[in-house]
Amino acid sequence: MAFNPLTEKGIPMDRQFRSWSELAGETYDTNEVHPYTRCRVILMNGIEVEAIMNSHNAARRTADSGIKQMLALVRKAEQQQQKRVNWLIPGSESTIANTIGYEQVAVDLTSWIARHEPDPYLTQAYEFGVLEDYDHLYRYANLMDLMGERRKAEEITGDLTEILPGRPTIFHHRHPHDELRRPMTVQASDIQSILNAMTVVSAEQQTMNFYMTVGNRPEDPLARALYLEIAQVEEQHVSHYESILDPTTPELLNLVLHEYNECWLYWSCMETETDTKIRQVWETHLAMELEHLRLAVDMMKQVDGLDAADFLPKGGLTEPMTFEANKEYVRGVLDRTLDWTAYDSEFVPVGELPEDHRFFDYQRKVNEGGTPSEDVIRRHREEFGGEYRFNTEGEHPNPSLRESGTAEDTPYDKARQNATETV
Amino acid sequence: MMTTRDEKHTGLHHTADKVQDTIGGMHGRVKAKTLGSHSGEAFAKNAAIGDIYEITAAKMALKRTRSDRVREAARKMIDDHTTATHQLRSAHRMSETGDLPELPTEVDMRRRKWLEHLEAAPDDKFDETYLDQQVLAHKETVDLMTGYAQSGDNWQLRSFAEGTAPVVERHLAMMEKLRAAL
Ligand SMILES: [Fe+2]
Ligand SMILES: [Fe+2]
Ligand SMILES: [Fe+2]
Ligand SMILES: [Fe+2]
Repeated sequence: MAFNPLTEKGIPMDRQFRSWSELAGETYDTNEVHPYTRCRVILMNGIEVEAIMNSHNAARRTADSGIKQMLALVRKAEQQQQKRVNWLIPGSESTIANTIGYEQVAVDLTSWIARHEPDPYLTQAYEFGVLEDYDHLYRYANLMDLMGERRKAEEITGDLTEILPGRPTIFHHRHPHDELRRPMTVQASDIQSILNAMTVVSAEQQTMNFYMTVGNRPEDPLARALYLEIAQVEEQHVSHYESILDPTTPELLNLVLHEYNECWLYWSCMETETDTKIRQVWETHLAMELEHLRLAVDMMKQVDGLDAADFLPKGGLTEPMTFEANKEYVRGVLDRTLDWTAYDSEFVPVGELPEDHRFFDYQRKVNEGGTPSEDVIRRHREEFGGEYRFNTEGEHPNPSLRESGTAEDTPYDKARQNATETV
Repeated sequence: MMTTRDEKHTGLHHTADKVQDTIGGMHGRVKAKTLGSHSGEAFAKNAAIGDIYEITAAKMALKRTRSDRVREAARKMIDDHTTATHQLRSAHRMSETGDLPELPTEVDMRRRKWLEHLEAAPDDKFDETYLDQQVLAHKETVDLMTGYAQSGDNWQLRSFAEGTAPVVERHLAMMEKLRAAL
């Protein structure tokens, strides 16, 4: 199974625009939808949002009216794709239920990417991030019960993703300098590394956008506070992942890579989709992306004299990004790296940070008046007599999180106490 | 290339040290411009040693200087060269850099001499010695980074050099300004 976006034929631009009724078409059924179909919808919405924002940014930085026209034309089609995809989500799916879907995407997308990343440093970057979104899933799942949602989180995620504490959210809050990683280069990195990073950046960015917009909608102060806290972590995740991309990528090459990535992902969705109606959407959108790609490749050839065939894989792409269970994989990462934090571009166990490190100052500042991601677990214990968890593969791999998902007795807690004592 | 100043108050021993630093610095500059600038192995080694020297010298400055501005500059050197150390270490672990030898964890002979001279500087000459060395060291680092960014043999290390060059250029400007204000 190979797919070469450079040789396939797409739909001409003048046939890409659809009517309002076509765009706001049928939704999925929130009770019947396969969890990974929901994941694909959430992911592809994020991919389209990135296509749109990247195009806007490019348009703002070019004076070439021909390029501006091409960007505007394609962008309007991307906007329609975004509407078609995001409007697949029904109004009957509550914001918190949809949020559970967002974090399931983060867990199973990032895990798949980490397992398919050829570079050891970048693999570590994904493994670092995945434990944090894993923990968000657990905190939001507990919030979901408290918000009186009729469903349990596992009814959203199926039995595909376990819901357990990861690296506790309270310890995600790091000084901004410690989110900046070493970038790869377009010249020497593997094409899969570039696609991986662009995909995860888009997903995390849309998660950030989503929480920063909907997080103030609940009335419950704890729900508002938890969204706020996790939205700040998603900002970190965007900074973390975007910093592995090559910042010197020329504008039109960057556009080509974006369109190429959209082709890879719609093809992946098409190959793996179980819902026949939604598969139709992926297929149509793939045909559109092929034309977006052709236009971008053409413009890059004319403007920069660069030939896409020279650097994109000759045989095309062979492996579709696949939403699949990563339970054992995540357990392994928990076991190996639970207590890690970041120091500039490097990842280190928290116990190895100097005691006067900026991490501890930042922690003191933001956690000063209590921490919503801790409070949500405590309140769940009070109201339900225990934490919400969903495990299918046995006890938690980390002893410090077996009984309790709050911060006490974790390696971070010990490091924090040492740091406080020396101040 | 070097900041020339009237040295009439400088002690004999100190003058000799300074000449050695300068020659060491010029020699380093020539080396950075030619030898080190194409080979990834030489570049990575040189960059790592430069960071260790910077951090060690700055720690000494924090202990010994009586100037707030020098102390502030020294803190910045520790922060920024720690960041550079980490970035280089990350680059070193990427498959893009291939099989480079381990990065050095100690300074070389030449920079050990610099640190010894700094250590030996009398209290009333400490800032002057530190800033003279800083100007020389950063001229060398600017050459190393800009040279490798343009013509290095490894794309990942070139990317690191490109990201670090503007930072050390600002360091150089800052150190030259501080030295001129002494
Ligand atoms: Fe698109
Ligand atoms: Fe998250
Ligand atoms: Fe995230
Ligand atoms: Fe597109």
